Amino acid sequence: MAKVVLTVDDSASIRQMVAFTLKSAGYEVVEAVDGEDGLNKARGKNADLVLTDQNMPKMDGLSLIKTLRGLPQYRSTPILMLTTESSDAMKAAGKASGATGWLVKPFDPQKLLEVVKKVLG
Amino acid sequence: MVLTSKKYAALIALVAVLVSLAAWFADPIWRVMAIVVVASSVWFVATRYGVAKQHQETPPDPLAGCRAELGALIDELGDASQVQSRSSLGELDQVKSLLQEAVNKLVADFNEMNHHGQAQRELALSIVTGMTEVDSHGESVDFADFVRDTSKTMESFVDNTVATSKIAMGLVETMDTINHEVAAMLGILAEIESIAKQTNLLALNAAIEAARAGEAGRGFAVVADEVRNLSQRTNQFSHEIRAHMDQVDSSLGRAHESIYAVASMDMNFALQSKQRVQSTMSRLEGINVTMADAARGIDAHAAQVSAKVNAAVTSLQFQDLSSQLIGHAQLRLEALGTGVHGVARAFAESTDMMAAMALARVRVAALSNLDNTHFNPIKQDSLSSGDIELF
Repeated sequence: MAKVVLTVDDSASIRQMVAFTLKSAGYEVVEAVDGEDGLNKARGKNADLVLTDQNMPKMDGLSLIKTLRGLPQYRSTPILMLTTESSDAMKAAGKASGATGWLVKPFDPQKLLEVVKKVLG
Repeated sequence: MVLTSKKYAALIALVAVLVSLAAWFADPIWRVMAIVVVASSVWFVATRYGVAKQHQETPPDPLAGCRAELGALIDELGDASQVQSRSSLGELDQVKSLLQEAVNKLVADFNEMNHHGQAQRELALSIVTGMTEVDSHGESVDFADFVRDTSKTMESFVDNTVATSKIAMGLVETMDTINHEVAAMLGILAEIESIAKQTNLLALNAAIEAARAGEAGRGFAVVADEVRNLSQRTNQFSHEIRAHMDQVDSSLGRAHESIYAVASMDMNFALQSKQRVQSTMSRLEGINVTMADAARGIDAHAAQVSAKVNAAVTSLQFQDLSSQLIGHAQLRLEALGTGVHGVARAFAESTDMMAAMALARVRVAALSNLDNTHFNPIKQDSLSSGDIELF
């Protein structure tokens, strides 16, 4: 069974790039356009990994992570932040809300795959 | 202010005139005093009037006209700045959507390129592995092995042909020997036949001599008869043997012809075929090596294409960064437009200058403070891939 990755980003092109990278490595990819959509899709389908942007309309990445960590099925699911934000303060906030890792955009598809493989064990 | 000082001057002048009129009718001393008072009053009024006139010349009315015009101008500036900022926002939205569409298409195209690259790699690998495939019996069907097998088969075929030719030559010699033997046997048979003939003649002579001897030769005549019979039988057998030997001789002759044909066959064709097959096989082996190299080359190039597609995907994320930057610039532009428009409206609509100024100051301060309330999310100034940190 292919592992399911949920990618949450308001930029269609980033979603497309993430999906294209992960699908080529055999993962199943579910796309969500913002935090709220991401939360609904995460509830609907049990994702093995969540990859989220920070700055999005309706619900930002940090809030999404906090909410997901409150759900029993996402207590230990790896959640990676993929964002343009690179400040130490933001990273610390991410760590505090329960993020597994922080990836600063732009991402290198090969490195993204390596990280995904690593956190999915 | 000007009116008040005018009244003040008129009042002083009136008091001075009344005092001087009263003094005019009094003592001359008072008259002098009155003249002084009138003179100083006139001087005072003249000076006050002069000042008032001067105040009026920094004209209140032309100033009011200018202010109205300035107000209208500021108002127009406010409207114009709002219109321009709205148009710019619209144009920047257009840039964002164009960028988005272009990048989406580019990503889809690169996606396709990557799929084709993968397919190319698989094909190249199948060519390489096809040369060392395993057949249904679990044996390796290496192309080089095939070439070696074919060469070996060809070699043993040629060797067998040459060996057969050699054996045939040996057989020809043997056949010659047999022919000689048969000829010798036929010679011997002729000798036997002549002995039989002579014996027959001798028996005939003996019979004649026996008949001449009369009764005494009767017994000898019987013996002579028997000897004659024996010689005739010998002759008959000899004929039969000759007939068989003739058949053997003709069969041997035909066998000799066939074997000779085999032995004298040109062996060069077999040797030439062997050489041709060997050179064809070594050429095939060369082609095989070149093909394997080419397939490996194709695989390496396809891998390079994949790597470049990955690099392009990294670079294409400029659209996400640019769109966020454009979004932030749009925020600034909107704040600038509404700020300028708000300041202009404050001045145009307000009758209280001080209140308008205070309102304008608040708006200007908000504009200056924009960087502290709306942070720019993009710190990147290059497209090299970002840091990765696992907590």
